[in-house]
Amino acid sequence: MIQVSNLSKVFPDGTQALRDVSVSIPDGDFVAVIGLSGAGKSTFLRCLNRLVDPSGGAIEVDGTDVARLRGRSLQRYRRTVGFIFQQFNLVTRLSVLDNVLSGRLGYHPTWRGMLALYTDRDYELARAAIREVGLAGKEDTRVDQLSGGQQQRVAIARAMTQEPELILADEPMASLDPRLSDVILGLLRDYNQKRGVTVLVNIHVLELAKRYAKRVIAFNKGHIVFDGPVAELDGDLETTIYAGSLEAL
Amino acid sequence: MIVAFVFGLVAAIVTGLANASMRRLVIAAGVGLLVAYFAFPFYSADGFVSRDTVSPSLFGLTPTDPVLALVLLAGIAGIAGARLPRRLGGALAAGGAIMTAVLVGTSHLRSPALGRLLPIPGLMEVLTGLALAVVITALGWGSRRLRVPFLIAGLAAGGLAFGFLASNAGHRLFPNAQGYYRLATSVPAAKQQSILDEYNASLDTINAQRNRIGLKPLEPLTSIKALDTGRLPEAASKDGYRMLRPFEQRYGVWVAMLLAGILLGGGAMLAWRPHLHETGDVAGGVLYAAVLLSLAPAFAATEFSFAKLAAGWPFLMKFLDRAWPPLWADPSYGTFGIYPLQEVASQMLITLEIALVGTFLGALFAVPLSFLAARNLTQGNVAMRAVFALTRGFFNLDRGVDTLILALIFVAAVGLGPFAGVLAMAIHSIADLGKLYSESIENVDRGPIEALEAVGASGSNVVRWSILPQVSPLFLGWTLYRFEINFRVSIVLGLVGAGGIGFFIQDKMSSGRYDQMIIAILAIIIVVNIIDFASSWLRSRLV
Repeated sequence: MIQVSNLSKVFPDGTQALRDVSVSIPDGDFVAVIGLSGAGKSTFLRCLNRLVDPSGGAIEVDGTDVARLRGRSLQRYRRTVGFIFQQFNLVTRLSVLDNVLSGRLGYHPTWRGMLALYTDRDYELARAAIREVGLAGKEDTRVDQLSGGQQQRVAIARAMTQEPELILADEPMASLDPRLSDVILGLLRDYNQKRGVTVLVNIHVLELAKRYAKRVIAFNKGHIVFDGPVAELDGDLETTIYAGSLEAL
Repeated sequence: MIVAFVFGLVAAIVTGLANASMRRLVIAAGVGLLVAYFAFPFYSADGFVSRDTVSPSLFGLTPTDPVLALVLLAGIAGIAGARLPRRLGGALAAGGAIMTAVLVGTSHLRSPALGRLLPIPGLMEVLTGLALAVVITALGWGSRRLRVPFLIAGLAAGGLAFGFLASNAGHRLFPNAQGYYRLATSVPAAKQQSILDEYNASLDTINAQRNRIGLKPLEPLTSIKALDTGRLPEAASKDGYRMLRPFEQRYGVWVAMLLAGILLGGGAMLAWRPHLHETGDVAGGVLYAAVLLSLAPAFAATEFSFAKLAAGWPFLMKFLDRAWPPLWADPSYGTFGIYPLQEVASQMLITLEIALVGTFLGALFAVPLSFLAARNLTQGNVAMRAVFALTRGFFNLDRGVDTLILALIFVAAVGLGPFAGVLAMAIHSIADLGKLYSESIENVDRGPIEALEAVGASGSNVVRWSILPQVSPLFLGWTLYRFEINFRVSIVLGLVGAGGIGFFIQDKMSSGRYDQMIIAILAIIIVVNIIDFASSWLRSRLV
């Protein structure tokens, strides 16, 4: 259960990215976050795992306010949150297995990580995740030998290996061939359904959001302008969500 | 002299035929002539001893010879050519150039004359301050925000520099700056006669000395013009009197003739084909002039001379004669025999080993330091930023001191031998590699760092698993590159006593065994090429 209340974020250059955002997300939900670019959806996701520090408000995850976490306790929280980036953010010179294993770094003391002393269970989790995303047999391939779609699947496997309670995906298909969207979103939906892990996905393609999500949260200029089941989205609302898009152009 | 003029003329005409901007050349030559007129030495003015000798500029000589001011006019004509209609400007420039060529080109035919130097007090002090102010102001001029602060800082720094040079401390530390710029003025006939009389009166003493060492006595002189170098009485020299000797020319003459040639060629071409101009001619012309004006004194200061090279040529040939054929081995030599090739091989190995150890130690310390010197890893808090500044500061300081200088210090500290060389090399390499490494770290892709922070990895693990894999091939490449340099450095290190092949060369050079030394030189050529080739092949396979 994630309870966000009065969350706001002002960047040092004065941009107000989030204004007074309050939302509650039950465990096991599959949420699509939509809105124009610059609407605040990426900042919202990044606040949830604290890649961005909120300026105000609270983010309670299972009763703890993670907006206030620092140091070691922040690392302990982050290891339970898988984050999938638009640009994959893999270490391309390392093998698939090394990249996926790095998802376990948060579970071990620093010195074990430095020496790459992963446990057998880490290896099992990593191999299982690689199989699950359909890259079995590619464990020892260097990531820079893989296609974009395969790389994003490695990133998903890395997130899965964390044994997360929450997965945040920030436009995971935006740098990929549109035909691969179904593969990526399909993987996330399966994971959500099988493990009951909460998933939040930023999507700017409304049609995809409608197809995969149970619930949609829409941002415009840092505000939540819609929050509800997919079925309730209609034309008028869509106009509101994408208001100002001509200005933006 | 005439060669310089013709060269300038032909160069200008040829570039003009190639449709390059002639207005730019005219401006360059004009600016050059102006600077040369005021700042470049033209011919020598001798006093009693050789340190009394000065070489005044054309401006300094103008009081004795007002017609020289026409060169100044030629310079101004060149610069004015930029503003005037181009045909007129070109013609004016060409006219000025002919004037300059005639004046400067015949200057060596003038007869020697007595002149008196009048220092212009404060000129160097003012110019130094002014130059500092202009440079600092120019640095900030591009930015609207920095313009005023830089102007103020420039004026303050210039004022301080002037104040310092004009103060007693300045006079003590820079004694030559005071009254450095002097004008040569003509001397009244009566004074000339009295100096000549003084000289003739001193002849008795001089001839007595000459007689003692078996030289012919000197005759009394009837004209001051015949006063030779070193004959000016000491008292007159102290009073600022100098014999102007137009036939002892300085580089200013060459520069002025070259510029006159360019100005004539450029001006004439511009008058003939007025379309030969481009935008940015003024800046381009000033740039050309700056290059020429800094090269000319540099050639003079380094005593560059083809004549000297030609004179030394036979010695070079003799050296090669004695070096060839190489003495590969001479078992008959003394009791033990001499085996230079074997010696070269083992000394070469030592040189290589100095480079290996020096580079390895340098890299060993540079790797951890480079992380502290990477801006992107050290912005966390004030302490980290201080560490960053400190490490960068150390790198910059260390990089400024060359390996060879460090080696000289270490030879004094730990004695002759390879160890001193290794220490010097390692310490210099730390800074050099550290800087290259840290720049590689600053250029890493931020994405993986963010990703590992997002999985909850600790700071050191983020470095270990996102930055290190990205930079390690770059580090390796830089290390190899440094090894290439270090190998060449370690050859020279031997010359200052830090062991290896350089020491062998120095030893054989000083004992005149060129036939042994040549083996070392051949070996160096071969090994340097092998190492450069191997290293660049390896580096191309990285990444």
